[in-house]
Amino acid sequence: MKDRLAAAVTQSRADYTEIRVERTWSSAVAFRGRRLETATVSEDQGGFVRVLNKGCGWGIASFTSLDELPAMVARANELSRAVRVDDPIRLAETRPQLADAILELDGDVRGVPLAEKKKLLDRYNGAMLAVSNAVVDTQSSYRDEVSEVWYVNSEGTSLYQLRPEVVVSGTAIARRNGTIEKGLESIGLRKGWNSVQNFENQFRVVAQRAVDLLDAPRVRGAAYPVILDNELAGVFIHEAFGHLSEADFVYENPQAREMMTLGRRFGKPVLNVGDNGAAKGLRGTLPYDDEGTPTQDTALIKEGILVGRLHSRETAAKLGERPTGNARAISFRHPPIVRMTNTYIAPGKKGVGFNDLITDIKLGVYACGAFGGQTMLENFSFTAGWGYMIRDGKVAELVKDVVLAGNLFQTLDRIDHIAGDFTWNQMGGGCGKGGQFPLPVTEGAPHVRIEEALIGGDV
Amino acid sequence: MIDRVLDAARGKVDGADALWRREERTAVAFESGRLKAAGISEEAGVNLRVLADGRMGVAGTTAAKPDPTELVARARASAELGEVVDLAFPAASKLPPIPTFFDRTANASLDDLIRMGRLLVERLARPDCQVNVAVQREVADTGVGNTAGARGEYRTTGIAVTADITRIAGDDVLMVYDQYVGADMPSDADLEGLVRSVETRLTAALKIVTPPDGALPVVFTPAGLAAIVLPLEQALSGKTVLQGSSPLAGKVGETLFDERLSIIDDPLTPGRPASRPVDDECVPSRCTGLVERGVVERFVYDLETAARAKTQSTGNGRRGVFGKPHIGYTNVLFRGADGGVPHAAPLQMLGGGLIGDIDDGLIVDDLIGVGQGNVISGAFSHPVGLAYRVQRGEITGRVKDAAVAGNAYDLLKRIGGFGTDGRWLGARWSPSLLLDGVSVARR
Repeated sequence: MKDRLAAAVTQSRADYTEIRVERTWSSAVAFRGRRLETATVSEDQGGFVRVLNKGCGWGIASFTSLDELPAMVARANELSRAVRVDDPIRLAETRPQLADAILELDGDVRGVPLAEKKKLLDRYNGAMLAVSNAVVDTQSSYRDEVSEVWYVNSEGTSLYQLRPEVVVSGTAIARRNGTIEKGLESIGLRKGWNSVQNFENQFRVVAQRAVDLLDAPRVRGAAYPVILDNELAGVFIHEAFGHLSEADFVYENPQAREMMTLGRRFGKPVLNVGDNGAAKGLRGTLPYDDEGTPTQDTALIKEGILVGRLHSRETAAKLGERPTGNARAISFRHPPIVRMTNTYIAPGKKGVGFNDLITDIKLGVYACGAFGGQTMLENFSFTAGWGYMIRDGKVAELVKDVVLAGNLFQTLDRIDHIAGDFTWNQMGGGCGKGGQFPLPVTEGAPHVRIEEALIGGDV
Repeated sequence: MIDRVLDAARGKVDGADALWRREERTAVAFESGRLKAAGISEEAGVNLRVLADGRMGVAGTTAAKPDPTELVARARASAELGEVVDLAFPAASKLPPIPTFFDRTANASLDDLIRMGRLLVERLARPDCQVNVAVQREVADTGVGNTAGARGEYRTTGIAVTADITRIAGDDVLMVYDQYVGADMPSDADLEGLVRSVETRLTAALKIVTPPDGALPVVFTPAGLAAIVLPLEQALSGKTVLQGSSPLAGKVGETLFDERLSIIDDPLTPGRPASRPVDDECVPSRCTGLVERGVVERFVYDLETAARAKTQSTGNGRRGVFGKPHIGYTNVLFRGADGGVPHAAPLQMLGGGLIGDIDDGLIVDDLIGVGQGNVISGAFSHPVGLAYRVQRGEITGRVKDAAVAGNAYDLLKRIGGFGTDGRWLGARWSPSLLLDGVSVARR
C-alpha cells in the first residue's frame, strides 16, 4: 500500500501532496434495556488527498473508492489551483519520518467472536438493570476497532500505523413518577479485548447513583467554592483552556493572538497544564499525527504562565513556532486540524489530598464526574454527573443538576489548590470540533479547587 | 445495486431491505476573510438488513465493489445474535411527488460557490472582526428497496452557507453565527437576510450590560430554542416511549402544552434538505402531527419500534451505511395557532416582536452546553452564549456571565407569545417564543 501511495504522490503535479488511506475493521454491540439493539461487524475504508501549490490554497479530496486514487490526486490539484491566496500558506519544516508504528493490541479484537462481545456487554448491562426496579432503561454499548492508517507525503514521509481502540459504556436511567435521572459509565482505551474485562462493579455504581439522584435536591444556583474531582477537572481543562491553546484559534486572528500571548499569566503558580500525545498507552496517544509529525509532551501553562500551544505544520509556520504533532483527523473523510491528545493538569504537592482541599470551606460544592462540556471561546459550561454540598469542611448531601458555567480567565485564576492525587480518566466518547466527532482524547487531573465558580440550578 | 443485494439475500433469509446512497460534496472555506481551501468528497455505501428465523441483522459496507454474498453472510451472522422482531416490510406503494433536486444547486460550479462566499465575506467585513464563511453543496442519490417489492429512488441537492463573525476586545470574545440551509440555491434576498441577521445581532451585542437576576420573561429566538425543543424531540420519539423513559408516554390525548402550540414532522415541505418522498425503510413520506394545539397526538416510529409498539411506522426510518435503521425526524415545525405557513422572516428583527411588554428580561440566542445532562427530563441549566438584556421593551445590550435554567415541559404549558420571525434553522422551523418565569442567575 505504501508503494501505491508513493507512486500516486510521485505522479502528483502539485508542490506538496499528502495521501492518507485508512482501513478500519470494527465491531459493535448495543443494548437498550434488556433488548439487544445491534451486533455487527463493519469494514470501512477510504482515502484522503491534500495538496498545496505556491500562491494557492489547499485542495482536498476524500473518497471511498481507492481505485480513484490517481484521479483524486489530480482533482485535488485542480481545486488547489482554483483557490488563489495573497498570503501564502507555508508548512513548518519537519524531518521526514519512515516508520511502522504498531500500538499494542492487548487481545486482538478481530479474533474474538461477536457472541463473546455480546456476552460481555450483557453482563455490564445486566449489572445496571439488577440494581433496582427504579432503573427503567439502560443504553449500553461495546465498540472496538483496529484501524490501519497509511500516510505518505511528497517530502519523503512514509508511515504505517496500527491503532486499536475499545470502548464500553453504559447509561442507567432511573425513573420515579415524573423524575428521571441518569448515571453514566464509560471506559475508552487504545487497547484491546483484555483491557475491558471485569468492570461489573463500575456499572453497578453508576446505576445506583442514578437511583440515589431521584431523591437528591437540585443544587441551588449561586457562586460557591467548588472542588472538581479528577474526571471533571480533566474535562474542565480540556474544554475551558485546551481549545484556546489550539493554535488555529489564534494564528489568523491578531486580537486572539494578543489574548493568548505567551508569557501571559493565566493562573496562580500552582497551575501546570500540558498535552502529551506521546504518553504511553492512553486513548489520545498516537506515535505520529495525521501530518506525519511525531507527537510530544507540550507544556501549555507552567507555574501559571502561558508557555505553549498546540500546532499543525501550518499554524506553526504562521506563528514561527515548532509543530507539536497535534494535527489530527477523525477519519479519511476529514482534513487534519489542530486537536488535543492527552491533556492534563499536573499534580500538586505529593501527599496533598482531597481533605486538605475542603477543610476550610464553610459552604461549597464538590462536583463529580462529567456528562459533558462545551466552550464558546472564553465562556464554558460543563455538566457534572452528580455533586455533594460541602458544609463546614465536610462532604454533606448528594445534589443534582450541577452545571458549572464561567469565564475561562476568571476561573483559571481562581484555581487556588491542587491535590497530588493525579489520575488519567480514560473515557469513551471524544472531542468534537469543526464537524469532526468523536476524536479519541484523554484527560488527566488531580482534585482541583476553584475559590469561586458559578453553579447553575434553581435560583 | 439494491436489486443485486436483495437478489443475493433472497432464499438465504426470510426477508430483507436495503439502502444504497452515493453522496458528492463540494466545499469552499474562507478563514479570517480569506479563501483557504476547496475540497470534494465522494462516498458511496450499502446498508442491508435481513430477517432470518425471525431475528434481525444488519451489515454495511463502503467497499467500491461490494460483494453481495459476503454482505448477506455478514448480515446473517449479525441476525444470529439478534432479537426476535415481528417486522413486516412494506409492500410497493405510490410515493408522493415532492421536489428534492434543484438543477441550480447541482450545476453550481466551484467558482459560483467561491463567488457566493466572497460576497458574504465582503459584506460582513469590519475592523477588528474575523469573518469565517463556509459553503458546501451536496448532491446525493438514494435507493431503497425490500423483498416485499417496494422500491424508492430519488436525487437530492443541498446547500449550506454558514457565516460567523468573531470579535475579540481584550478578554471579551463575541461570536455571532448564522446559516442558510436549503435544497435550492439561496436567492440574493436570502444572502442579504443572512448578512443582516449577523449584523443585527453583532451590533446589539457591542455594549455589555449587567445581567438581570430572578425568575424572568425570556424570549428564546429560533436558534436559542434548542434547549427547549430538544427534550420534546426526545420524548416524542417512539423509542423512548417504548423504553419507558419518555415523560410523554401514556399521555396521548392530554393537553400538556399551551393550546396554541403544534409540533409537526413534515418530510413533504418542498425545498428542504430533509424532505424526501420515501423514508430509508421504504415507507412513503407523510406529515405527522405530534402535538396539535397543546394536545399530545402521536409519536414518531420506524418499522422496528412500530412493530414492537403494535402501531404503524410514521415514515421516520433513517439509516446510514453502518448500523441498523433508527428513528429520525425529517423537518420539524413548531407552530403557533395561526398555523403560520413558513414565510420569509424579517431576520433583522431580534426578539420577533415579543419584547415590547417586557419590563426586565432576556433574549436568548445561544446557550452553551445544550444536549448535555439529563435532556429528556426537560430540566436545563445553561450559561448564555449570546443573550441580550431587555429593559422597558428595548434591547439594552449583551449580557455575559449569566445562566438560564428551567424545565421545558413546564415552560411550554404557558407561552407568553409566538414571534413573527418564524424561520428555518437546519431542519427545524420555529418562531421566537416568549416564556415566562425562566430562572436567570448571574455571577
